[in-house]
Amino acid sequence: MSTNSRALPVPSIGRRRFLTTLGAAGAATLAAPAFVRAQAREVKVGYILPVTGPLAFEAQLALNGLQQAVDEINGAGGIKSLGGARVTLLPGDTQNKVELGNSEAARLIDQGVTALIGPFSSLVAFSVRQVAEKNKTPFLLLATVADNVLEGGLRYVFRMQPNARAMATLTVGNMIEMAKGAGTPIKRVAMMHEDGNFGTTMGNHVDAFAGKMGYEVVQRVPYNLRSPDFTAELSKVKAARPDLLVISGYYGDSKIIAETAAKLRIGVHALVGLANAAYSNPRFIAENRELTDQLFDGNYWHNPQSPRARAVFEAYQKRFNSVMSNHGVQGYQVMFVLKDALERAASTDREKVRDAISKINLTDHILTQDAIRFDAAGENVNATPALLQVQGGKPVVVGPARFVEAKPVFPVPKWKG
Amino acid sequence: MTWLFSQAVVSGLLLGGVYGLVASGLSLIFGVLRIINFAHGAVMMLGMYTSYWLFVLLGLDPYLSILVTGPLFFGIGVLIQRIVIEPNRAAAEHNQLLLTLGLALFFENLALVLWQGDFRTVRVAYSGASFMVSDVLVEVPRLIAAGGAVLIALALWAFLRMTDAGKAIRALSEEAEGAMLVGIDVSRIRGVAFGIGSACVAVAGALVTPFFYVAPDVGESFNIMAFVVVVLGGMGNFLGALLGGFIVGLAESLGAAFLPGSLKQLVVFGLFVIVLLLRPEGLFGARRGR
Repeated sequence: MSTNSRALPVPSIGRRRFLTTLGAAGAATLAAPAFVRAQAREVKVGYILPVTGPLAFEAQLALNGLQQAVDEINGAGGIKSLGGARVTLLPGDTQNKVELGNSEAARLIDQGVTALIGPFSSLVAFSVRQVAEKNKTPFLLLATVADNVLEGGLRYVFRMQPNARAMATLTVGNMIEMAKGAGTPIKRVAMMHEDGNFGTTMGNHVDAFAGKMGYEVVQRVPYNLRSPDFTAELSKVKAARPDLLVISGYYGDSKIIAETAAKLRIGVHALVGLANAAYSNPRFIAENRELTDQLFDGNYWHNPQSPRARAVFEAYQKRFNSVMSNHGVQGYQVMFVLKDALERAASTDREKVRDAISKINLTDHILTQDAIRFDAAGENVNATPALLQVQGGKPVVVGPARFVEAKPVFPVPKWKG
Repeated sequence: MTWLFSQAVVSGLLLGGVYGLVASGLSLIFGVLRIINFAHGAVMMLGMYTSYWLFVLLGLDPYLSILVTGPLFFGIGVLIQRIVIEPNRAAAEHNQLLLTLGLALFFENLALVLWQGDFRTVRVAYSGASFMVSDVLVEVPRLIAAGGAVLIALALWAFLRMTDAGKAIRALSEEAEGAMLVGIDVSRIRGVAFGIGSACVAVAGALVTPFFYVAPDVGESFNIMAFVVVVLGGMGNFLGALLGGFIVGLAESLGAAFLPGSLKQLVVFGLFVIVLLLRPEGLFGARRGR
């Protein structure tokens, strides 16, 4: 019965699409080649994001970025190589659930999207990537960090942002560079991370990177996300006398940890978030001005040295009345990756668009990195997180050196014991 | 090392008080209704949202909001019992269990629809207040929460000992048929017990909002621990629940301080399993004459 009801709409959509194509083709043969160019008046792009459910707030930030990019593209005359075709965003809501991710992706593919963008959670990504591969549909990952999500010889899946390994090693690396520059080197590192897949992966990378960077992990504390109290864990960290405390966690836990660390006079040079859901989050900063001041965070950000990035950042602020955070930057930029590919493909054919994405070499972007290029696996080879520090109620870039917009406050006086 | 120990003991005790109050409510409901209320944590979450909104919309201090959440959730508890639980009293035990689980999921998703998944925090002047006893940190809001929880639990204990309604609740908890025979309106008392249990947990929710956050799934943090506490203290044993709260708080905190990794959870749940195996009536459970 369920197969029946699911099978029903498919032929009807198919027929409608068939007729439209037939009509367009007929018109094209009758008239001039100009009509051929007008054939694709619209490029459909599907997003699958957890727009409701526990990640709704973050997903909305990403969606804001996507929407801003789409409006900018359409406002500037659409996809020029497609005769000014407009980009249309088709919505898909995963609620952060695997099965919904799959069905929404399949539905959007049925509706004729040229590419998919999403889905935040690595767990959902692991599943949706199969749907994209099977249907030969380009799938641009958004806010998905698990290292191995691109493993298995995938052809259609690409990731613009740093994976977990790049995120962890570059953030700690940036921090150590910055500290050296400030004349207070970091030797002893403590790591607190939530004990799920995300935090543990980050913890492993920070551990593994120690030898190479010449620091020592003096205390590593995995913790339960839902724990209502972290005083004992942080006391243990304090007793290990680290120079730096790295925290990989979600919103609520990260908040309590920062608060308790401050009260305990944890005695470190700095607290740095690693892909932390809270520490550069505009809402968290607005709600906790005093606490967040001078917190560091390794995260995705726009390049403050780029005039275009600054203009985009300001336009976002004006339109959405909030700081363009990591997710907004990702949403915005990933749409322009697709735009660049569409321009070069001059087609909405998924295979051609896929090839164009794989050959991208995009230097006009808003990120703190060199050109956006994908390797054979689909990873952005130059993906780099920025090192941020909250100063005066907003995150500013303090590393890597060539993107810096403000001098870091380091060591941070308030964390001193 | 001694510093770390003292710090862990202090923070464990402070947390334990709140666990105790949450568990007291759960224990009371179990004692009287003989059902395991999985919706307990969800009711706590609703209590937290109530405090949050009273604070945001009316500027009411979270501690003062207890005066609203207490009676309000007593009423809500009575209604839940009347409308959802009572009609299913005759149903098989596992059905009643599933019913409360369904209720929990319903409340959580209701919160998700009404207030989205955002984490919300109540920032009051004393949120960050703390002091040092020699070199041990004591956070004022946590101290107030623990102290308040213990006071309320003790007041309830006195209520159960000294008032007629309290005695009726205890009678029902100890010997349902006997209670019925001596003319206690058992259906009404079951409602009162569910109401008190819900009020307890909602008030506990109000007490933690100044240092915690509010989100639709926030009750789960406390719900699971409350089950452990109730088992430790003895199902239906009110004071046992309070003491059990302190034991679990201490075990969690000391485990976090002296064991590697996430072993603290293992300690707590290990304790849970061992007590269930060796002393199912709970550490303080006097064997009930049934």
